Amino acid sequence: MKRLLTAALLPAACAIAIPAAQAETLKIGVLATLSGAGTAWGMSMQGAADLAAEDVNGKGGLEVGGKKYKIEVVAYDDKYKASDALTAINRLAFDDRIKFVVGPVGSAPALAILPVSTENKVITMTMGFTPKALSPDYKYSFRPVLPSDVFSDPQIKWVVEKLGGKRIGGLFPNDESGQQVAAANEKAYEAVGAKFVAKEFFERERVDFVPLLTRVLAQKIDAFELDGNSPQTAGLLVKQLRELGFKGPIIRTGGDATADIVKIAGKEATENVYVHQPIDLSSPAIQQYTKRFEDKYKIPLNAFSPFFYANLQMLFEAMRKAGTVSDTDKIRDAMLALKDFDTVLGKVNWTGQAQWKSNQQLDAPFYVALIKNGAPVVVAKCTPAKCE
Amino acid sequence: MSRKTLGYAAAAAGLVLAIAVPQLTANQFYLHLANLALLNAIFAMSLGLIAAVGQLSLGHAAFAAIGAYLSALGAMQLKIPPILGIVLAGLVTGLLAAALGRVILRLRGVYFVLVTFLVGQVCTLVALNWESVTRGANGLVGIPPIRVFDQALGSRAYFYYAALTAFATVFVFIWALMRSQYGRAFRSIAENIQLAESSGIDTSRYQVIAFALGSGIAGAAGAAMAHYIRYISPDTFTFHDSVAYITMLVVGGRQTLVGGVLGAAFLTPLPELLRGLEGVQHIIYGAILLGVLLFLPGGLASIGKRVLRRKKGVETPT
Amino acid sequence: MDYPTLLAQATVNGLVIGTMYMLMAVGFTLVFGIMRVVNFAHGEFYMLGTFVAFFTYAQWELPFIVALAAAALCIGILGALVERAVIQPFRTDELSGMIATLAVSVIIQNGAVLAWGPTPRSMPNVIDGVLTIGPFTFPWSRLLVIAAAALIFAAFWFFIQRTRIGRAMRAVAQDTETALIQGIRVNTIYPIAFGMSVALAALAGALMAPIFSVSPFVGLTPMLKAFVVVILGGLGSVPGAVVGGLLLGLIESFTATLFGSLVADILQLLLVILILLVRPWGLLGQKEA
Repeated sequence: MKRLLTAALLPAACAIAIPAAQAETLKIGVLATLSGAGTAWGMSMQGAADLAAEDVNGKGGLEVGGKKYKIEVVAYDDKYKASDALTAINRLAFDDRIKFVVGPVGSAPALAILPVSTENKVITMTMGFTPKALSPDYKYSFRPVLPSDVFSDPQIKWVVEKLGGKRIGGLFPNDESGQQVAAANEKAYEAVGAKFVAKEFFERERVDFVPLLTRVLAQKIDAFELDGNSPQTAGLLVKQLRELGFKGPIIRTGGDATADIVKIAGKEATENVYVHQPIDLSSPAIQQYTKRFEDKYKIPLNAFSPFFYANLQMLFEAMRKAGTVSDTDKIRDAMLALKDFDTVLGKVNWTGQAQWKSNQQLDAPFYVALIKNGAPVVVAKCTPAKCE
Repeated sequence: MSRKTLGYAAAAAGLVLAIAVPQLTANQFYLHLANLALLNAIFAMSLGLIAAVGQLSLGHAAFAAIGAYLSALGAMQLKIPPILGIVLAGLVTGLLAAALGRVILRLRGVYFVLVTFLVGQVCTLVALNWESVTRGANGLVGIPPIRVFDQALGSRAYFYYAALTAFATVFVFIWALMRSQYGRAFRSIAENIQLAESSGIDTSRYQVIAFALGSGIAGAAGAAMAHYIRYISPDTFTFHDSVAYITMLVVGGRQTLVGGVLGAAFLTPLPELLRGLEGVQHIIYGAILLGVLLFLPGGLASIGKRVLRRKKGVETPT
Repeated sequence: MDYPTLLAQATVNGLVIGTMYMLMAVGFTLVFGIMRVVNFAHGEFYMLGTFVAFFTYAQWELPFIVALAAAALCIGILGALVERAVIQPFRTDELSGMIATLAVSVIIQNGAVLAWGPTPRSMPNVIDGVLTIGPFTFPWSRLLVIAAAALIFAAFWFFIQRTRIGRAMRAVAQDTETALIQGIRVNTIYPIAFGMSVALAALAGALMAPIFSVSPFVGLTPMLKAFVVVILGGLGSVPGAVVGGLLLGLIESFTATLFGSLVADILQLLLVILILLVRPWGLLGQKEA
């Protein structure tokens, strides 16, 4: 009975979901969190795919090997869960026969789908920050966004040398990113002679941080580290720290959160806050991208979005060079061969061989900014080697 | 044809069809969905077993998680073969549930619901924070797949047969249990616990048995899931999954064993029909649940009965 | 910071979250006492309260007192309608009623995501600045919450004790059948009680919105805490919810300040499970026959 039901429902499902395929259509999958608390990240990825497709289709399609292809985006929700991500990748790979996927978002979904995507030679562009998402075993796994183990060392070195603080305090969410970021940060601070004197974890459901901040402040810290927290939590932490009378520098080593920090904590509280800027907000390309995104979706741009857009720009270029839209081995090699490639982020390269034995990590410049009067002012430009 | 023969015929036809599924479709995605539906059916049926004594567990996913972690860790650290691991995980989870049940089954109704809910929260906290064993929020990566005769059941078709066997076993087991003296005792407890007590039924013993069996089966199914997805973290089985199992059970029909199966078969592929409507999808879920509660309290399973009854009503006068 | 300062901060902070827990739990326990319904959607009404406050206070810049009144009124009426439509049919079936509220919670939360998007928003403080007494600093915005919550509860208590509807509610809570015989219309009392209950949750949401944040997902934590509080104080007991709420706020604040977040969370859950097992009717509740 249930088999019957499944068998009867599914073809119908696919008929509704996917319009009849045309000969010259190239489908790109999006496997991201499109419902629940992680939706902002998922939207930033879907937006990148939609905008990249718009660009290509606006010019009449992507020309590869003498044929023109219209790009079609097929988006599935993973609900930020490994099991749902696995279902979605199965559908993308076997039902839609898609070879290029933007996603997934978290480390858990990323690790769950990689065996399937690798086995079916599907190129993925993940936002999973786990070190295991890149490896020689996963030939087709790319990561356009920088994980904290890449940027925390140079940035922390620069900040500590500038501020001279020794006693660092920090509050991290007790989830996968919080646990990883805390470990990476602690190592980076110790490498430059500072020390985490107060490091607290909290469960994701927690909304009131005052007791924990009181506890951290009791350790007489010089500076406070905000990394690993969601943008809103970071904003709340800044607000509550200042309300508790903490006047020292507050440092945000990773992830774009500046807009939310300022919005939540206000101008006054955000003086003396050093933030990580994944993108240069003053660049015209970024400003144009931001405008397009915000006009289309009516939500603020998440700074991760242009990274996926840049990776798609590279993918399309690689298809042109390889002269195929189906042979992902050739496309992968062509993509990895791109050097100093001009994207929305500026000139980008590939890196990662040293850390993960897989050269499939996007290498883009990033910035350290000091918030002044409610706006970030870039004070240093960084590469994975150093900030200056 | 009597209803009984009809039932057997339907079961046989369903089984034949189910066995043929991998031959009928080459689409691996459908097989993957079938696998999830089979596992979900086991979760819903086992929850139904606990509901048979009139108790609702909001911690069902927690027992699935316990089983999943046990079997995954056993396979990764102690090299226990996954098939054996799944059975052991089911047994250990069942024993844990029995021990816990002896204490918490003194409560009934909403009190029991609340305490199972809290047990679920404690389990998530432990999985998150006992990092040396559970690897915290990062979860366990690279859990080995099930092997039979040295053949890895990594592929969806092989796993399908394993899951189908497990499903059939659980189905027949619960079916037989409910027709034995245990089933009669369960029902009388659900109907009126005071009456059951005074007519000499050891109500606490039967409740513990139902809770331990139901939770143990959930533990084994959770373990099977872990060896199928090959990844588990504290987010794999949460409160929301407990709610999902309840939804399947209620939508399918709480009163019958087929109910949980129908609910899983209907709700597992449903999100695939609603792709592209991400936000609305959950609302439709909620609406279906509410609609069934209000207008079809017997769930999908009662549709068949209603039709049968109506038919009979027409036939009798002639 | 030295110990006295630490303890003073922890006390004020414990009272702030304690009063929020109290408002949540009073409404939650009221509905259980009168209708025997465990409302799993209670947190979603808190969430709706934060959004009403956001739109009226932050967006339209109406006075905060108007924002509070709007939250209580809008959400209260919505609650009464929800009661009539989907809770009343399950009057005799506790478990089905509870599952129905689970469905309501899923619908409200995802409806909010559709309508307002998933991104959290922030609200300006109602009062800025801090009160400094010697070495102690307390933000005014937090002190305001304590005062406002105390006033709201006082108004609620007056209503329950002194008005006709309030007395009718208490009568129904004590014994539905006797109340029916006395000519109390249970079918009008139920929606009013449910509406009042969720209005209290909405008020808690509106009060906390400037301090915490506003998003479709903020309802879960307050609901979890309401569970803990009512079990602590006794399901159905309003005084129990008050004592339990303040107690939980203080316990949480002190344990988190002194031992960290994990200890605070685990201790709470264990405390509640323990209470359920040895004294399921709670600290101030009455043992059921």
